[in-house]
Amino acid sequence: MGLVLWIAPIIAVMLSRVVNNIKSLHIISICTSFIMLLAAGITTKSVMLYETLTYKIFGDAFFIDAVSIIVLDIVIIIGFLVSIYSVGYLNEKLRHNLIKYKKIKFYYSMMYIFMFSMVLALTVNNIGIMWVAIEATTLATAFLVGFNNDENALEAAWKYVIICSVGIAMALVGIIFLHLASINVVSNENALQWNLLYDNAKDLNGSVLRLSFIFILIGFGTKAGLAPMHTWLPDAHSQAPSPISALLSGALLNSAMYATIRILAIVNKNLNDSAFTGRLMIAFGILSIAAAAVFIMTQKDYKRLLAYSSIEHMGIITLAFGIFTPLSIFAGFLHMINHSFTKTMLFLASGNILQKYNTRRISKVRGLLKMLPISGAAFLIGLLAISGTPPFSIFVSEINMFLSIFSAKYYVLGGVFILLLAFIFVGIVITLFKVFFGEPAIDSNIRRGETNKPGAAVLIVLLIIISVTGLYMPKLLKNLITSAQMIIIGG
Amino acid sequence: MEFFFDLLSVLVLLSSFVLVSNKKITAYIKTFQIQSALIALIAGIMGWSIAVNEDKYDILIICVIIIALKVIFIPHLLYKTYGNIEYRVEKDFFMNIPIIVLICCGLVVFSYFSVSNIGSLTGFHINHQVVNSLSVVLIGFFFMISRKKAIGQIIGYLVIENGIFVTAMFSTNGMPFIVDIGIFIDMITAVMIMGIMVTRINKKFESINIDKLSKLKG
Amino acid sequence: MVNVEYLIVQIIVVIMAAPLVNGIIKKTKALSQKRKGAPVLQLYYDLFKLFKKSTVVSDTTSWIFKAAPYIVFTASLVASLLVPVTTMIDSVWYAGDLILMVYLFALGRFFMMLAGLDAASTFGGMGSSREAMISSLIEPSILVTLMTVGLTAKSTSSYQIMEFMKGVDAPLIRPVYLLTFIALLIITIAETARIPVDDPSTHLELTMVHEAMLLEYSGRSLALMELGASIKQLTFITLLANIFIPHDQFIFISGAGAVLISILIYLIKVIFVSILIAVAEVSTVKLRLFSIPNLAALAFILSFIGFMQHFVLGR
Repeated sequence: MGLVLWIAPIIAVMLSRVVNNIKSLHIISICTSFIMLLAAGITTKSVMLYETLTYKIFGDAFFIDAVSIIVLDIVIIIGFLVSIYSVGYLNEKLRHNLIKYKKIKFYYSMMYIFMFSMVLALTVNNIGIMWVAIEATTLATAFLVGFNNDENALEAAWKYVIICSVGIAMALVGIIFLHLASINVVSNENALQWNLLYDNAKDLNGSVLRLSFIFILIGFGTKAGLAPMHTWLPDAHSQAPSPISALLSGALLNSAMYATIRILAIVNKNLNDSAFTGRLMIAFGILSIAAAAVFIMTQKDYKRLLAYSSIEHMGIITLAFGIFTPLSIFAGFLHMINHSFTKTMLFLASGNILQKYNTRRISKVRGLLKMLPISGAAFLIGLLAISGTPPFSIFVSEINMFLSIFSAKYYVLGGVFILLLAFIFVGIVITLFKVFFGEPAIDSNIRRGETNKPGAAVLIVLLIIISVTGLYMPKLLKNLITSAQMIIIGG
Repeated sequence: MEFFFDLLSVLVLLSSFVLVSNKKITAYIKTFQIQSALIALIAGIMGWSIAVNEDKYDILIICVIIIALKVIFIPHLLYKTYGNIEYRVEKDFFMNIPIIVLICCGLVVFSYFSVSNIGSLTGFHINHQVVNSLSVVLIGFFFMISRKKAIGQIIGYLVIENGIFVTAMFSTNGMPFIVDIGIFIDMITAVMIMGIMVTRINKKFESINIDKLSKLKG
Repeated sequence: MVNVEYLIVQIIVVIMAAPLVNGIIKKTKALSQKRKGAPVLQLYYDLFKLFKKSTVVSDTTSWIFKAAPYIVFTASLVASLLVPVTTMIDSVWYAGDLILMVYLFALGRFFMMLAGLDAASTFGGMGSSREAMISSLIEPSILVTLMTVGLTAKSTSSYQIMEFMKGVDAPLIRPVYLLTFIALLIITIAETARIPVDDPSTHLELTMVHEAMLLEYSGRSLALMELGASIKQLTFITLLANIFIPHDQFIFISGAGAVLISILIYLIKVIFVSILIAVAEVSTVKLRLFSIPNLAALAFILSFIGFMQHFVLGR
């Protein structure tokens, strides 16, 4: 079934090149993402049963375990929701004559190349190919970020391509050193296979591995948007079309984080404690949260606000894996899931807002609930959820984070962490008040009511997901995260 | 044999110094071409000796790919991109060249100290040509920082890739074959995308000076 | 103790061979331009003629002007003693090494610049200031280059370096020596006022550097200055030839015959390096004064990378 995950997006790309009809493009997209959803469900089930999933025909190339299935499920569920949302979004754009038919074709084929490369990154065993796939995600999204083709979009796309390609080149240097560290341990034919490296982690050369980890953390950290390498992220996430922003924030950042986590597991197993990696990751994590806090407090553009919030949450996840206790790793994975869904909802809602008001400035959006009842409500609740208000899911994972930090006896760190989150909460709530109170500006061009019907449905689904997981965690999810945690912590 | 690799690694390093001290975009492209040819030579010699000794031909194939891509195709593409944009004489660097060169010398020292410590800590044998190739990576980074033109940044990216490739060659006799192929595909796509973007930037901003790309802030 | 035989041989060879280099370079350049050119021994005739003539000294000058030629010549000659033309005679020169050589030349240059200023002519001051700029740009490269070679040989004495180099096989394909060789070649060209830096064959006021400082000199003083300059040139060529292209390990006999053969081979190498310099001179154009830092930067890059390679490759 795993094969379907690889083949379906490729077929979708080919079909969307051939087909010449908007309706069938939409149908292809939704069908493909639905098939991928089913395949992911079946794969999840078999991972639950057998722990790892590999196929003989690919040798050891195809490899899924609990760590990858968590991120894979996030990617595919978000991909499915985004593909539904895109139908309404693109039709709305088409109605306003903002884009031409050809652009939609381009949009879908790029989106499925993007999906394919993310799925590839999450399902391969070879770290080298994982790198190739993550670099391919940058290239696939380059033109999607520049989709609007105005000056700002072009600037964002250029920064995105240059900073991410160069940053990820650092990760390649790290991977070369990883290969060097394993040169007498793993045979040349099996070089860079993650499971072999992980099994033989104790025999790798420690000092080369340290150097390798620094490069890899900086490289994939650039892609995951950690400060101070985050500068591309607000630009790209705010200039991309909203469904793509949702994919970038909800799925892509996690894929980059996933690669870091994989190598973190090897390094920590080799060094036998997490002091070295912990110091680096905690520093990057807290720096990202702090940088995001500063920019969120003074933000004037709501999409950039969401982008900075993504940096913040990536910082929290990095922090969680830096502390490296069972509880913190559990919190890290949970936070990854919760952040993805909440942030996707916010970006999709912001897409509707942007189409309605045609501005990104917070000060120009007034009386949102009256104009867009569903998107507005989703945006309101999403902002509360992302800032860590109970009873939503982010609150649960953040409270787990606090507990893990304090139980690991990082008291100062815990204090700073709470303080920064409080700042971010204030920053986001101020935005909220600005947007939701006040009368809508009287403008005859703007009609009230939702225009993106499928999008509204998606928002409702996401709203249900984040509210329910905040109150009750399914046993299935708990088991998955626990087994992922066991893999990472080793033993 | 080792002396050839020593010499070639030094020549690759030297070519990146030449690149940094160049002023004209066409000269960047030419220097990049020469550097790629040197790298192809390294891959060729290494591939030949492995083909003779172990009967494996993947590095030779990689050598052919390098010649086709980096020596012929990409420089051609860059010349074409450069031809598409309007020619304007503008200063392309922030600092004067001797200072840039001195900073690059500092980078060489830095990479020496960061790599050579590995060996002394554990007695692990690390091939010291890696210092040179890692310096090429760092100089590529610095080149990107020091140039204002978009094409200069593409060249910087390519030099980083070259440096990484040589690092892989010298440290581990190259990456696994399929990974290498993947890296080449990524690289050629990246360069093509960047080339298209340069043309678009030139159209929208009427310059390829990336100083003009400064609207998105905060 | 100083070896007296060495001193005699060294002084004779240096003084006799120094003007020859100029002649060869000029002849090579002339031939490459399809001219017949002056005879190879022309500088000998010139010097001979100048020594016989009386000296005219301007009234406005001080003692420095008169003393400078002697200081320049002596400094060059003493410096050249530090770089043996042959290693067949034991010449461990306990009193000095290559760093002393560099600063003896600097002393000579200092007095030459003072003399240029002393006559208070416009060109002299201009030449002096340019010379000061060029020498301060090129000095770091000289030191780094010599230091690199010294580090590999674990000595700064040129005799010991040459002894060490005899044991290195094929030095010019080793990165350390190849880079330092090219760096030293560029340094030689810059130090001896050759074409990319200065044009020795013209007296064009806008470009001249070395000639501008000598403009006020005549007769014996001029001869001493010229001879000093050509000794300096020969010393650098000796460094290039004897360090990077060692030959004495191929001579298996000993005694006076060996010394003779060694010096003959040495002269052949000097001719070879002179032709190399002439070719370099013909194939380039003179740089603008403000481009000279770039040339100095090139020399510095080369010497610096060579320096690093000593540590990096350790071989």
